Amino acid sequence: MSEVSTPARLSTLDRLRAGLGRASEAAGAVIRTADIDTRLLGLLGALAIIWVGFNIASGGDFLTPRNLWNLSVQSASIAIMATGMVLVIVSRNIDLSVGALLGFLGYTMAMLQITWIPETLGLGLEQPFTWIATLLVGLILGALLGGLQGFVTAYGGVPSFIVTLGGLLIWRGLIFSYADGQTLAPMDSTFRLLGGGPQGSLGEWPSWIVGIIACVAIVLSLYMSRRRKRKYGFTQRPMWAEIALAVLLCGAVLAGVWVTNSYPWPEALAARYAAEHGITPPPGGLNIPTGIAIPVLIMIVVTVVMTYIATRRRFGRNVFAFGGNPEAARLGGINTRRTLMWVFGLMGLLCGISAAIQTARLNAAVTGLGVQNELDVISAAVIGGTSFAGGIGSIPGAVLGAVVMQSLRSGMLLLRVDSPTQDIVVGIVLVTAVGLDSLLRRRRG
Amino acid sequence: MRIPRLAALGAVAAIVLAACTGGGESPSASAGGSGAGTADCTVAVSWNNYQEERWALRDEPNIQAALDEVGAEYISADAGSSEEQQATDIETLLADGADVLIILAQNTETILPSVQAAIDQGVPVIGYDRLIESPDALYVSFDNVAVGRMQAEAVLGQVSEGNFVIIKGNGADANSDFLRQGYVEAGVPAEGESSDTITIVGETYTDNWDPALAQTEMEQFLTENNNEVDAVLSENDGMAGGVVAALEAQGLAGAIPVSGQDGDIAALNRVALGTQTVDVWKDARELGRAAGEAAAALCSNPDITAVADTVDFDSPGGNTLTSILLDPIPITQDNLQVVLDAEWISTDDLCQGVEAGSVDACP
Repeated sequence: MSEVSTPARLSTLDRLRAGLGRASEAAGAVIRTADIDTRLLGLLGALAIIWVGFNIASGGDFLTPRNLWNLSVQSASIAIMATGMVLVIVSRNIDLSVGALLGFLGYTMAMLQITWIPETLGLGLEQPFTWIATLLVGLILGALLGGLQGFVTAYGGVPSFIVTLGGLLIWRGLIFSYADGQTLAPMDSTFRLLGGGPQGSLGEWPSWIVGIIACVAIVLSLYMSRRRKRKYGFTQRPMWAEIALAVLLCGAVLAGVWVTNSYPWPEALAARYAAEHGITPPPGGLNIPTGIAIPVLIMIVVTVVMTYIATRRRFGRNVFAFGGNPEAARLGGINTRRTLMWVFGLMGLLCGISAAIQTARLNAAVTGLGVQNELDVISAAVIGGTSFAGGIGSIPGAVLGAVVMQSLRSGMLLLRVDSPTQDIVVGIVLVTAVGLDSLLRRRRG
Repeated sequence: MRIPRLAALGAVAAIVLAACTGGGESPSASAGGSGAGTADCTVAVSWNNYQEERWALRDEPNIQAALDEVGAEYISADAGSSEEQQATDIETLLADGADVLIILAQNTETILPSVQAAIDQGVPVIGYDRLIESPDALYVSFDNVAVGRMQAEAVLGQVSEGNFVIIKGNGADANSDFLRQGYVEAGVPAEGESSDTITIVGETYTDNWDPALAQTEMEQFLTENNNEVDAVLSENDGMAGGVVAALEAQGLAGAIPVSGQDGDIAALNRVALGTQTVDVWKDARELGRAAGEAAAALCSNPDITAVADTVDFDSPGGNTLTSILLDPIPITQDNLQVVLDAEWISTDDLCQGVEAGSVDACP
């Protein structure tokens, strides 16, 4: 090896290095002063690379409104459960039962609308209240069963790993007690809207309205947060950063709405709609924008509410405090047991929501419903920056984690990658993401 | 401290007892035999995964009925989709004194040592429904290649050319490939090939025959081909349900032929509704009956070649297997009466949501 280099080349390299250093320093400074969550930024960057990569590899099939719309619906159910899993893991616990509980709740809701309400109560199918009654039963039962697991964990002193492992076996086993594991279908037509599909979407104007409300909410929450910081004398973001952030976030929201509205109803559906409503379709067919799918709207609402609970409510802060240092939290007067029970109850409730979405989307309850979902949910939470050491976790991060996972899956499906290879890739990504995250965290100190 | 602990123990004991006594349908060791005849013969069944719709409902009662007639005893075990568990189960069943072993194999390869162990002990083996690559075992199944052929024929009867999507089952299950072979026999190009009239625009295996996964696969194929899909060959009913849900979201359900098999209630209802073209029906009761009768015969003579109605079947592993192959029946809108007559499904279930008079079976 020769250590000799031409001076000219050395200096070029040095200049380049110095320039890069300055640039990255400057970027770092901007991010620091703007007080932006670097982990979220990293996830968004990874997502952008994945999307652009798949788009190039698939010859432009990935970044189409239709595929992105599909992706949003396919991610919703896992993302919703991942928001709850963040709190579970932050409190130094784990819930292995979510997939099985989802299956059990999905089956219960299917039994209600296919057998119990129409036959046992003799009311017949397609009652106007069927969808809301089944949904409520599913949510309440989910919260109760989740809360029961939390009760045994918190008050019984059985590790949550064991309690929810038992839960996994029990809920999965109970599914079979319904109709000997027969597939239950079809679901109530109103209930099915929860699963998305063009009919189960908001349409053009309602989607824009949701987008505008979201923008107003973003601006308001930035303003409130700024005022709070001033009140307590914390460093505030510079005004330019606040404005840039608001513009960026609103821009992203409105772009999302625009994408969902750029996906028109499928021709066949539009033609049927036109015929039913006596509209003469223009040449080229009726163009009905699809808009945000209902399950995606539910996912957004759940994310906002869960973020609010986690960061602004005492309950959420208690969970983080407990996860960070259980002993200190207990001595600090937090009712840790009750908090823990609520965490699992909330997780069960979210399983109920996802169960409704999955059964509505498939238009059936099958015995395999939710199999291995626990792995996807835990992976999403962990990719989103939730730490198994407890006390650290981000709910929007977990949602992004779910979108990353689903992007990988559906992109690979588009490229005809077989399922064993898909598993290998997802496994590598999972470990790499967590490895990078902990490396960065250590370097930052 | 003493009392709560005792109470907890009592509660656990009560749960365990309830689980043991309440499990009337539980697959574990329910004695069946009572009458005279070969009363000292014990027939053991090793299920690979009892938690699927059909086994408890259709197969098991008919195996038991055939055994009851000759007074043989019935014992069973469920491996819960695990190869290792099935090996353990078979050891246990042999130790329990099984004289004939019926195996629904989780894996056609890994089951071989267990089969060999049984044969070595002089216990004849019946490979039930799923192939076992051993010439020493009697293979009792429906002709799965014929199932695939019937699915493809029914679909080709509706659409004989254009863009086809093929949704296959589990890649590790030999049946997935038998069905695919049947498609080729009916004139559908093999994987990676295309003919003058048929282009395969999407083909994939589906882990665990998962309906939700099949739905996502179908959505991706539709997206990729801009909905220009003319027919879908789905290897079973569960996945057909996922496919139809994906088609419905595009307003294409009923416009594109879809195949399936198994005679699931929901799938037969789809056939009546017109959203699924064909459901190849394998009367599992007949299969259970055939296996039960074969087992009864093996009780008195353990030579599998002496069993009635056997044919030679050339397996993909190059073995010639002594087999009983039953004929499946393709169910379409024209012959729905068959499943009603067999009391496989009730008219209410079959005709739910079907416009009265639109098919003969739903007046």
